[in-house]
Amino acid sequence: MDAVQQANLTAALDRMWEQFLPQMRERVAALEVAAEAFASDRLSLEQHQAANAAAHKLAGVLGTFNLTRGTVLARELEVMYSRDGGPDPDLATKLAEIAAELRGIVENRK
Amino acid sequence: MAHRILIIDDEDDIREVAALSLETVAGWDVAVANSGAQGLVRAIEFKPEAILLDVMMPEMDGPSTFRELRKNPATARIPVVLLTAKVQPSDQRTFADLGVEAVLFKPFDPMTLATQIAEVLGWN
Repeated sequence: MDAVQQANLTAALDRMWEQFLPQMRERVAALEVAAEAFASDRLSLEQHQAANAAAHKLAGVLGTFNLTRGTVLARELEVMYSRDGGPDPDLATKLAEIAAELRGIVENRK
Repeated sequence: MAHRILIIDDEDDIREVAALSLETVAGWDVAVANSGAQGLVRAIEFKPEAILLDVMMPEMDGPSTFRELRKNPATARIPVVLLTAKVQPSDQRTFADLGVEAVLFKPFDPMTLATQIAEVLGWN
């Protein structure tokens, strides 16, 4: 791929990021809601499933937009939410911390 | 001549980035489908040389879609490459047992996706 093609693809990816930013934000919001609910022992089945799906989707897509750290964090959350019986109660704070870091990554992509 | 490839993925961000990548970087002819059911129809209409197939989709998932493609003589011989964010060893064994050409993992690099697909399909 030559430099012009690469620049064109990068520009097109940036436009797509803007296009899909609302759904990235929705996915992060699902993780924030689930983390907050889990911390207060009110995590519903729907919130749990939504968080698991959101983490899976973010893990699959963030790295494609050059947000490798985002994929690593989302994958970590996916593992936690996929655990039999739900996330480890000792990790309630961790769930919120990771969701907050993901929020920062999504909001600050240049 | 440009290769013809069908992308089946329910996630519109992944589907559109993959299509953009294959069209821009490799100049391939790309068709898309947003579900397994739609993918079965598009595979017959578009007659792709290969299919890039997502694993986790609602209603008809990737493995089910693959089996349906294999049942139809019109699509049975089209090489299928799975695209998945699942990286657990048990998942990988399951995919290997299906009989697909290859498994590629999300997130992919849009700059090199076409090269990866071409390599696993022997298009180089």
